[in-house]
Amino acid sequence: MKLLGHLLWAAVAGAAAFCLGAIALNRGEHINSIWLVLAAACSYATGYRFYSRFIAARVMALDDRRATPAERLRNGHDFEPTNKWILFGHHFAAIAGPGPLVGPVLAAQFGYLPGTLWIIIGAVLGGAVQDFVILFASMRRDGKSLGQMAREEIGKVGGLVALLTVLMIMIILLAVIALVVVNALKGSPWGTFTIAATMPIAIFMGLYLRYWRPSKVLECSVIGFALVMAAIFAGRSVAQSAGLAPVFTLSAISLAIAIIIYGFLASALPVWLLLAPRDYLSTFVKLGVVLMLGVGILFVRPELQLPAFTRFVDGTGPIFAGKIFPFCFITIACGAISGFHSLISSGTTPKMITKESHARPVGYGSMLLESFVAIMAMIAACVLQPGVYFAVNSPGGIVGAAPAAAVATISSWGFPVTVSDMTNLARDVGEHSLFARTGGAPSLALGMAHIFARTGGGRAVIGFWYHFAIMFEALFILTIIDAGTRVGRFMLQDLLGHISKPLGRTSWMPGVIATSALVVAAWGYFLIQGVRDPLGGINSLWPLFGISNQLLAAIALCVATTILLKMHGARYLWITCTPLAWLVTVTFTAAWQKIFSPLPALGFLAQADKLAASATANTAVTQALIFNARLDAVVCGVFLVLVATILLDSVRVWIGILRGTREARVCEAPFVLSQLRAEEL
Amino acid sequence: MSRLAKLMMALLRELADENAYRRHLDAHGRAHSAAEWRRFSEERLRAKYARAKCC
Repeated sequence: MKLLGHLLWAAVAGAAAFCLGAIALNRGEHINSIWLVLAAACSYATGYRFYSRFIAARVMALDDRRATPAERLRNGHDFEPTNKWILFGHHFAAIAGPGPLVGPVLAAQFGYLPGTLWIIIGAVLGGAVQDFVILFASMRRDGKSLGQMAREEIGKVGGLVALLTVLMIMIILLAVIALVVVNALKGSPWGTFTIAATMPIAIFMGLYLRYWRPSKVLECSVIGFALVMAAIFAGRSVAQSAGLAPVFTLSAISLAIAIIIYGFLASALPVWLLLAPRDYLSTFVKLGVVLMLGVGILFVRPELQLPAFTRFVDGTGPIFAGKIFPFCFITIACGAISGFHSLISSGTTPKMITKESHARPVGYGSMLLESFVAIMAMIAACVLQPGVYFAVNSPGGIVGAAPAAAVATISSWGFPVTVSDMTNLARDVGEHSLFARTGGAPSLALGMAHIFARTGGGRAVIGFWYHFAIMFEALFILTIIDAGTRVGRFMLQDLLGHISKPLGRTSWMPGVIATSALVVAAWGYFLIQGVRDPLGGINSLWPLFGISNQLLAAIALCVATTILLKMHGARYLWITCTPLAWLVTVTFTAAWQKIFSPLPALGFLAQADKLAASATANTAVTQALIFNARLDAVVCGVFLVLVATILLDSVRVWIGILRGTREARVCEAPFVLSQLRAEEL
Repeated sequence: MSRLAKLMMALLRELADENAYRRHLDAHGRAHSAAEWRRFSEERLRAKYARAKCC
């Protein structure tokens, strides 16, 4: 039996190597998406079976006799022993955001291969390890947050840097995902109507739950979902109505202003009225769509139309500038390794783990599933014809604003596409135009619609599926925007409370309004900057977001490395030091190039200099663009300083521990024997 | 199959905070009422939305 097991796992590992080899070595022919699915699934299975088991047994020494915080501190609220698979789903729902969907779509400009390999290898050796180790560390420390652990394990500087980083990431994240929504909805009455309709639907759900059917969240979500589906159907009629279509046809700047106003109002409104009901709805829709996409890909098994590598590996890509190294690894964060996950792994999840061994499927396993979502997004992007993919994702400032100019430029790159191809596609999905829809969401929606329509219905239903996918993306992005603004407001109130006591009170309305306005103004500024950017905004904002997210991952890995060092000395340092060294190299290189590259498309300062030397340098618009480019350079520089600070501080601690001049005290909660009965496990 | 369906329902109830509400009633020895739900959900949502949502 044991021999059979060994043979089986040898076959799975062999299949992983074979499939990875097949997708890596294939050139010149279209490959079927099933190769990517198999390569990912077999690699994840091998990584989970061997690597995570090694970490769990040898490094963490997970012990089911040891009572977890969920048992010791059980209070019926946060601390509650929870079924392993329920917690797995709960944790996955918490870590799955728009990042693993949008990042791979953007990185597909290099071809399918670089992003796919990074997603698989990055998740198995980096992302899942980070999530698992931080979850373990927090579980052994009564569910402490990353900031608290950074303060305790590294020092006060580490804690402060972690807080500052989270605040800065929030601002850049909110701006960039709002830009994704703006670019998906601009000039789209169908999409705008559907998303606008989700707001009264959410308010109806809020009232339903509070006054009419208290506690019936699932029932209410089913009604909400039915209403949203009705809104998608009604959206087609709105788009075809001579009277209503102009009302819902908004320019990018009008949409940006609408989202900014919405963000401010939503963060100041009671959570039960809008945010919470929409969050319930978006969570269920998110899980359902991920499942549908997985089934759809397995059922349709589409061929990838994008090549393994495109010509843009040389750094001249139209979607964002920069070579594969480091920009592929910055663009795809959440599907491979994401610092934000460390906040979730040290948030609710460690307080709900029943047995220590559950940390492995929940921490390591959930990240592998998230990585698989990124693979599905990559497939959805790559099933589009390359010409269509680049026409949708390239900004007018690069390929030309007029359709004829855009298709001429894209065709000259070797990706043939015609104006009539794009017009027919836009008509099929009920849009006026699909040119220059930067941000990734529309091309992902097109890919998903393509896959869903092939499961049944064909071209007749592609418009519905396109708008269903847009609704799905916009729904949970807007939820992140109002929840993120609220969290940013809390952080700011916490900070300002040291200067003025009333400002720190979350119940003092003038303080709530002032701090909400400040947070909204911060991300709103970057959003408007992105909308006005002739290069499409994504070119500057997405790398900033990627760098900041990877920086947070570097902080989490510094904390994890310190903990492993205290537990075992230098023996197992390679487990966290390898991804840490990679991330630091990537983050530093990317940040350095974004600031100092002499290429105006890549370097912020070079871009500012080019604008300053142009004939229109003295106009207000160009002056604003120059200021924005320099501001982005400063933001990037701050990220570099933060990375360097936390890294140097950590290295100082590590050297002290290795030399024996610093106490290597592990700050774990003391061992308490678990009293949980078998039926509670 | 029925175990899987039960597990899925339990997951949905957890995500919908319905399980947490049941635990809250059990922990405090209270019965369900509209006022109790409002008290629970205000406390739950305050904590829930004080944390960052993942990207």
